[in-house]
Amino acid sequence: MDIRKNNENKNQKESSPNQTTDKKKKFGRRDFLKGAAKAAALGSVAMASGCGTALLPSKEERELRWKEYFKKNYRLMTVSEKEETVRRLERLAKIKKDVSIQMSSKAAIPGVLYGYAFNVTRCEGFMECVAACVKENNLDRKSKTQYIRIFEMEPGEMAPAAGNGKYFHEVPVEGHFYMGAQCFHCENPPCVKACPTKATWKEPDGIVVVDYNWCIGCRYCMAACPYYGRRFNWHDPEVPAKEMTKKQHYLGNRMRARGQMEKCTFCVQRTREGRLPACVEACPTGARVFGNLLDPKSEIRFVLKNKKVFRLKEELTTDPKFWYFID
Amino acid sequence: MIRDVMNISRCKKNIFRIFAALFFILAGKTAYCGSGGVIETYKNATAPFDDEKLVDPMLSFSDHLVLVNIKYQGGKFWTRTRKDKIERFKCSKCHNNQDVNRPEAAKIAHGDIRLVHGGQEKPLQCFTCHNKDDRDFLVTEKGVIIDMDHSYKLCGQCHFRQKKDWVGGAHGKRVSYWAGKRVVRNCTSCHNPHSPRFKKRWPATYSHPLD
Ligand code: HEC
Ligand code: HEC
Ligand code: HEC
Ligand code: HEC
Repeated sequence: MDIRKNNENKNQKESSPNQTTDKKKKFGRRDFLKGAAKAAALGSVAMASGCGTALLPSKEERELRWKEYFKKNYRLMTVSEKEETVRRLERLAKIKKDVSIQMSSKAAIPGVLYGYAFNVTRCEGFMECVAACVKENNLDRKSKTQYIRIFEMEPGEMAPAAGNGKYFHEVPVEGHFYMGAQCFHCENPPCVKACPTKATWKEPDGIVVVDYNWCIGCRYCMAACPYYGRRFNWHDPEVPAKEMTKKQHYLGNRMRARGQMEKCTFCVQRTREGRLPACVEACPTGARVFGNLLDPKSEIRFVLKNKKVFRLKEELTTDPKFWYFID
Repeated sequence: MIRDVMNISRCKKNIFRIFAALFFILAGKTAYCGSGGVIETYKNATAPFDDEKLVDPMLSFSDHLVLVNIKYQGGKFWTRTRKDKIERFKCSKCHNNQDVNRPEAAKIAHGDIRLVHGGQEKPLQCFTCHNKDDRDFLVTEKGVIIDMDHSYKLCGQCHFRQKKDWVGGAHGKRVSYWAGKRVVRNCTSCHNPHSPRFKKRWPATYSHPLD
């Protein structure tokens, strides 16, 4: 096992700065989990013997679950380990819920840093983006989890917190404007620093992601985020199988579980394929602009260069990659 | 009704004038404290980025495309065709040098079209935009004939600023992909040319308060 680990470390150059601490944490947690898993296994055997074999998970399922339970933090996996875990998760989804998903572990595209701009003048509050996001990212229908908030704002206000985030009437209303907020994918993200298990980090393309399996649900990141960008699962999310988005990414819209943190990932499952995030694609007014900040010809660069742009709470030096602009 | 619409737009515009001033001041502050970080990162990124090969060129957009005959900062770009989406096209089916004297003329005429476009003093007329002699085409005020797939040229003669933003990417929207071939929506796939203001409607969903 240790030999294998050394090999991985060689393969995994990009995450080297934190490696020693990661390793320490990992072992600590793993020792703890091993004990817990044994207890769980005993428990399930006891239960199964009481209820007959019909409820007993198949051998295949037990094996898959076992391997899933002891997998590493995504950032420390080799490419082939990433591939193995997504195949396992696909298989488990098939066995447990009878849905055929296709899960990707595609890495960031080199030379890409994603940026987002929101046109405050253009948004009319139709909330098509919110509906599309819920669908694309398999958000819990029961508690109505949403990554995006749209605020109806009085003239002169500038902080979304001062706006009305739960309007439901015909829009747009005269004399108001609309402002969307979601995870801003800060370059200097306070949530990442707050996480005690390194379950959340910034990818090379600037997307702040969560390894759901590594999240212990302490919600420190939620408290650390000054933009209310993170959402917590108090229950297992419920998504009807036929409404589920089957094209998934390990760091994106795959199914989360109770006690795990989730958030906007700029639709990593789409953007790494060159597609636009679901909210951008769904917006009927063109208020949402998305693209590569490192590409001088991109729309986002055009906006940053030619429009009056601003970011929220800049004084906190979180350095968000989400700008607002007006015409 | 028309006055109503105009009032809204004026009101909205004024809000944003005040806003513009506010943001300008703020922008000054930003420039002062916001150097470094991601702003510096992107400003230093001046090398061209080739995203052409990121997207499978064989991916067909569900709609037909036409090459826009203006270039944007990245070169060529495309827009979706319109003619195949206009139910009454070709116009020359009926408008063919003869009076439209079919018995059902009243029914098939364009009673559904209400022009709510342009200032109150000088509202636009059908033939400000449509070519009287060949209805299949549009026409500018200077008499340049324009294909209906290229209506951005028609709109652009009066809405110069919006057209510039549309070309650059700050008005309108790109279709489906941020990488690869750039395809954008045409003006008329968002704006009804006859009453271009967006209609009020109910939002697609609603939000619970955050916990
Ligand atoms: C089904 C037949 C039909 C089609 C197709 C049709 N029209 Fe018409 N159109 C009419 C009729 C009937 C009238 C009213 C009679 C008239 O004024 O000649 C009319 C009137 C008009 C007018 C009012 C001005 C005038 O007096 O001529 C305009 C402008 C016009 N049409 C444009 C178009 C355009 C542009 C198209 C294609 C997108 C089109 N029409 C397609 C039947 C048609
Ligand atoms: C601002 C310029 C403008 C004016 C003014 C205008 N049109 Fe149009 N019209 C257009 C454009 C552009 C299209 C093509 C729309 C598209 O791309 O879908 C169009 C499409 C049409 C069509 C076919 C689409 C449909 O809705 O059936 C008809 C018919 C038509 N116009 C009739 C008229 C009539 C009648 C008038 C006068 C009452 C008029 N237009 C005034 C620009 C204009
Ligand atoms: C001949 C000039 C002319 C042409 C061509 C023209 N417009 Fe306009 N448009 C106007 C005028 C004038 C106004 C009113 C401006 C104002 O209120 O400040 C206007 C207003 C608008 C508005 C704002 C509506 C509102 O109520 O605030 C939109 C949107 C618009 N036009 C879209 C278009 C589109 C899309 C086209 C092309 C199909 C087009 N225009 C073609 C002259 C034109
Ligand atoms: C993605 C949809 C979309 C496309 C494409 C689009 N617009 Fe707009 N445009 C909007 C929205 C939304 C508004 C806000 C209008 C409103 O409040 O009704 C707007 C506003 C306008 C206005 C009013 C003034 C302003 O800036 O608010 C004009 C004029 C206009 N557009 C012209 C154009 C022209 C010309 C084109 C094509 C070159 C175009 N638009 C393409 C969505 C679009």
